[in-house]
Amino acid sequence: MTTLTRQDLNFGQVIADILCEFLEVAIHLILYVREVYPSGIFQKRKKYNVPVQMSCHPELNQYIQDTLHCVKPLIEKNDAEKVVVVIMDKEHHPVERFVFEISQPPLLSISSETLLSHVEQLLRAFILKISVCDAILNNNPPGCSFTVLVHTRDAATRNMEKVQVIKDFPWIVADEQEVHMQEPRLIPLKTMTSDIVKMQLYVEERAQKT
Amino acid sequence: MVAPHSLPGNTKKTRDIKQEVNKLPSRALGPTEPAPTDNLDNMDELYLDNIDEFVNDHDKIVTYKWLSLTLGVHVNTAKQMLFHYLDHKRKESSPQLHATYLVSGKFVDKGQPGHTVSVVREDQLEDLKAKMSLIVSVHVYSVQKALLKDSGPLYSVDYDAVKDNLKSCSRYSAIRCAGAVPMSTQELQQTEREPQRAPSPEPAAKRSGESKPAPKPSTKPQRGIMGMFANKAPAKSQESGKEVKPEQRGDEPMAVATKSKPAAKANPAMNFFGNQTSKKPDKAVKEEEAAAAAAAAAAAAAAAVPSSCAAEQRHQSSPPEEKQEAAAAAAEEESPKDAKKDSRSKTKRIADSDSEEEKMEKKKRRRIKKPQPDSSDEDVIPDSPQQKETREPSPRPEMEVESVSHSHQSLPGAKTRKRRRVLKARTFVDDEGCIVTEKGYESESYSEAEDDAKAAKRAPADFIPAKPPAGSREDEKKKSQKKTSANASKGSKQASIMGFFQKK
Repeated sequence: MTTLTRQDLNFGQVIADILCEFLEVAIHLILYVREVYPSGIFQKRKKYNVPVQMSCHPELNQYIQDTLHCVKPLIEKNDAEKVVVVIMDKEHHPVERFVFEISQPPLLSISSETLLSHVEQLLRAFILKISVCDAILNNNPPGCSFTVLVHTRDAATRNMEKVQVIKDFPWIVADEQEVHMQEPRLIPLKTMTSDIVKMQLYVEERAQKT
Repeated sequence: MVAPHSLPGNTKKTRDIKQEVNKLPSRALGPTEPAPTDNLDNMDELYLDNIDEFVNDHDKIVTYKWLSLTLGVHVNTAKQMLFHYLDHKRKESSPQLHATYLVSGKFVDKGQPGHTVSVVREDQLEDLKAKMSLIVSVHVYSVQKALLKDSGPLYSVDYDAVKDNLKSCSRYSAIRCAGAVPMSTQELQQTEREPQRAPSPEPAAKRSGESKPAPKPSTKPQRGIMGMFANKAPAKSQESGKEVKPEQRGDEPMAVATKSKPAAKANPAMNFFGNQTSKKPDKAVKEEEAAAAAAAAAAAAAAAVPSSCAAEQRHQSSPPEEKQEAAAAAAEEESPKDAKKDSRSKTKRIADSDSEEEKMEKKKRRRIKKPQPDSSDEDVIPDSPQQKETREPSPRPEMEVESVSHSHQSLPGAKTRKRRRVLKARTFVDDEGCIVTEKGYESESYSEAEDDAKAAKRAPADFIPAKPPAGSREDEKKKSQKKTSANASKGSKQASIMGFFQKK
């Protein structure tokens, strides 16, 4: 089995691909579980051998895909520290934040055999955890919207502003209003450690949602 | 009030449905008896704390199958535990718990009587029970803190638990089949050869003949398990509630499925992988060997044949899941034993998991290969001179340059040489160990007389060994037939132009 090292151009791309696929599924699932959109637009599909709910709405899908397409180069270079899915109420104050903290070990050499099934299992656990998270979270007020924020290093932010990875899909520095949440409660959901990536998912929830 | 838990197989009504049921050593229950709290006194009361920990602290969904595998108890015991726990907690009025129930019984759907097995949320339980004409069994399926919006997570919960206990996942089940014995290796090899001759029109015909088995509570016996898996597979979302699972067998659908999962998946899975070259066959082979210990009878293998080609078909063309189940379900009708349908469901699972992984791998490979030509193309230009010098000092002398001198000489007709430019893709391993595929123009020159053209071309000239015109002009001036290796050292970018002066 070929051993991949971080120096390989392929390695970063493979990791980024895996993570972006997972983030896409996770975002769809968060939208479903937190009822940001009516459940009628969701359809059961399969990922990692378990059923997940994915949206069928073309514009929503396109938006999520474009978002992740721009995030992917950041993950490749290990610039992205956190990817945050923020659910905001009508006044655009964040109500819930699902934070995916991603860290990739710098020096790495793994064989791809053990990788796939183990990572799949870990990601499956994440998805299961998201599905049951509404037990611990309070309900959201109606009329919520969502957005995706990425926390990166400074230089990468400037690059993203300069270069439009996707046409007409600009990224801007987030408002303080969108980032800061009042009285957050932290609820850890899941942690995963594997050879290629360490990921942590936790939810910050505003104490009073209405 | 929740319907009391009833043990399957202990009533006359259910006995004819089951093939064979293991009775619990403790007191048997009738369907109308109240909850058997005293029955559990014999058991360790710690299980209540265990379940409490799982549900409340870990926020897990506790299904009876998962509980049985985790605690190592019989499934019926696990169901009783869950019921007891639920009862206990409800009396204590602790934080809200939700439960799902498995209801099995006779149901008349649009005039068609049939046996139905459903998993329903607690709030829909009474509704469903009212609709059924005869209730055979009701028991707790799962307990969790969260209100589940759909049934997806229930499947996920059991998936990993079963996967870890692949060989023995039927250890605690209540359904046994005497005919389900491990296949010997000879039988295994025999059945391997058989499916390869399986006709492909067969699944196609079956596919057309079958509609989606999932919503139909049909009287066909073996479609049950496949129907159950149909709902968990990526079918279109059918109902807002839970699925309806047609099955004629009793109320141990999961147990049946898990029991025979190891059964006879060797054959279809093996054949399935026989058709593709992938790394996953190693894994599949290991799983098969593990599963060969508990496989169905030889008849099962024959019946599994159409499913294996269905599996192949599915993998090759990746049609919607319904088709594969329809084909498999249709195939199941031929075989009387329900063990086989589970083999198919397992096949599908394996197939799914492996095809998924394979796709990931293939995607990986594709991704790996694609950028390489782009990047290395750029590398060609600056690097080629140095690389030639550093890496191939030895081939250089070998590399025979047929320069313009040849062309000149060919003009007077001394040699008939033909040169043509051919776009070729060369794949090789470069010094970093990466596989690089390059396309380039090569000037291929041949004449009837000479072979050295080919020999020289075969020398490991990665990059278009184009020479600058200067080199060839020198040769012209020399007017010698002999090749100059100096030409090889001058790599140049313009493949299209320089290919003309290519050494051969």
